[in-house]
Amino acid sequence: MTTSLDPAVEITAPKPARLSRVAAAVLGAIRSFRSSSGTLPIGLSLLAFLVLISLVSLIWTPYPPTATGTGAFSSAPSGAHWFGTDAVGSDVFSRTISAGRTDVFYTVTAVAIALVIGSAWGALAGFFGGWFETVTLRLLEVVQAFPALLMALLVISILGPGTFNVILVVAILPLPDFVRLARAEVLTKKTWQFAEAARMVGNPPLVVLFKHLMPNSWRPLLAYASISAAWVCGNIAALGFIGVGIQPDAVEWGSMIARGESDVVAGAWWEALFPGLGVLVLAIGCQLVGDGIAARNRGEQR
Amino acid sequence: MAVEISAPPPRSLHGIAVPKVANVIGRRILGAILVIWGVVTLTFLLTRVFGGDPVNLFAQPTATLADREAIRQRLGLADPIPVQYVNYLRDVIHGNLGTSYLTFRPVTSDLLTRVPATAELATYALIFGVVVGVTVGVLSAVFEGSIFDRAVRVFTSAGLALPQFWVALMLIVIFFDQLHVLPGPTGRLPIGVLPPPKVTGFYLIDSIITGHLSILLPALRQLILPVLVLGYGVASPLARGARASMILALKADYVRTARALGLSRARIWFVYAFRNAILPVITMFAGTVAWTFSGTVLIEGVFGWPGVGQYALNALENSDFPAIQGFVLYASILYVIIYQLLDIAYTFADPRIRS
Repeated sequence: MTTSLDPAVEITAPKPARLSRVAAAVLGAIRSFRSSSGTLPIGLSLLAFLVLISLVSLIWTPYPPTATGTGAFSSAPSGAHWFGTDAVGSDVFSRTISAGRTDVFYTVTAVAIALVIGSAWGALAGFFGGWFETVTLRLLEVVQAFPALLMALLVISILGPGTFNVILVVAILPLPDFVRLARAEVLTKKTWQFAEAARMVGNPPLVVLFKHLMPNSWRPLLAYASISAAWVCGNIAALGFIGVGIQPDAVEWGSMIARGESDVVAGAWWEALFPGLGVLVLAIGCQLVGDGIAARNRGEQR
Repeated sequence: MAVEISAPPPRSLHGIAVPKVANVIGRRILGAILVIWGVVTLTFLLTRVFGGDPVNLFAQPTATLADREAIRQRLGLADPIPVQYVNYLRDVIHGNLGTSYLTFRPVTSDLLTRVPATAELATYALIFGVVVGVTVGVLSAVFEGSIFDRAVRVFTSAGLALPQFWVALMLIVIFFDQLHVLPGPTGRLPIGVLPPPKVTGFYLIDSIITGHLSILLPALRQLILPVLVLGYGVASPLARGARASMILALKADYVRTARALGLSRARIWFVYAFRNAILPVITMFAGTVAWTFSGTVLIEGVFGWPGVGQYALNALENSDFPAIQGFVLYASILYVIIYQLLDIAYTFADPRIRS
């Protein structure tokens, strides 16, 4: 926390004489946990829970997640199979917790790519303006005219399956929003006094942009990144469900639901319920964290 | 949210304002054409330039180079890319989207036969979603902080986070498998029921117009679950948007003035605040239309609904590029048109934008 330019930081963080900053942060988290609007800690707990489960699945699962015939086919949840088994006799519990790794990893990577590339692009467009900005805005309009999922399906059907392609495609979807947001942020802040001051002491434009402007704009971008992560993980599950890009038998929540689809319609609800809950926890967690950051930003602006 | 404007816009007489409105519409149409051209070009680039070689789909493994060349000629892929591009543009303008590799019929007619199914589903879902979303959003703003408001927040958060295909499956489990009150995912009609004679293509309307009332109830029952799922997806963002903008409106000075003047609560809420709060929601609606298009692809898949979404899914599974291309074009163009229409409507609804 070296951004002393931001007056709000000093107000919210009481200057602890002896407490370390970490302890202060923990205290702050507990305090906001108690307050009714503590969406941030709840969201963080949900995400931490998922990460924990994913880590556990690395060293222990009741059955190997890819093994078939571990029990009767499509059997209901029981003591031997907590979440039941699917159509080929795989253990749904083992698969559900292992799939967390895939979905969390895909989501985080895709959002990170979109955040970095989108913000840099939007910041440059907003800062320099001119033809670059015009072309960017027109391009965004065209890309956003495609309904998002269709865009993903089209691109993935061309690129072919594969981890990297899936991540790339789901990263393209929220990218335009990051470009717009970063552009708007830079556009409003580039005339503020701190930016003018940075310019006046002779900093080159790119230094002004990335060292002085962007550090003051990252919080709305981060809030949006978290909110869009909820959407991204839904899209990943959708790709897995359709079986485009992600291999049909992949240990992934959407693919698991697809494998169970015909059984589910016949009544084997456990094959879809648990992987779906995985998506739900990830999405709600991301959304709450995003809402929490956004609320905190608003609170500090007041 | 710059709701408070610094100076009231100059009032123009109706006759003077009209040219400006025409101007706005003209610019919108031009913009829409440009975007559609961009969409067509991008689709072309993605499928023809970066896509795989469609000849592989047709050629036998034993095909000689000459055979392959013949196929390439027949598909019109032997020409240089710019020539292909011009041909493609000409075809699209004439409504020719190519021939499906799968059904061997023109993609345009394939799509047209399937549009009514999707249109019926999407229309009811949008109506349901808008009515429920706006009502619930406005009420939760009026009763901000109440249990109702909290419940709405939970439901709308879930609506934004839940994968729709999963909600669909869970509803099928509950209402079809467990409670046996609604039919299973067999498409627009139960197995064995014949559709009504085609007038509008909407089964509910057609069965009433043509007097085949025995079809009305089965068709309606088939619609309930998919409309509910899609409508939930529409209602959630709208409810959140309506709530946020209604809360802002209720805090505005003119509401305080109206209250001071002793106007009834209902009048303040639903006439003064609501009218101002609804404008941003209209903009959001355009976004939910796109959401619904994306949603129909998966929902039609789950419910066996014989619409364009299911057609696109089939095409994807079989690398039927002309069909995929055609579907993406159809959806994006429809989206652009709806978006621009809404924008024009918005211009009419909000006099501040016109000037």
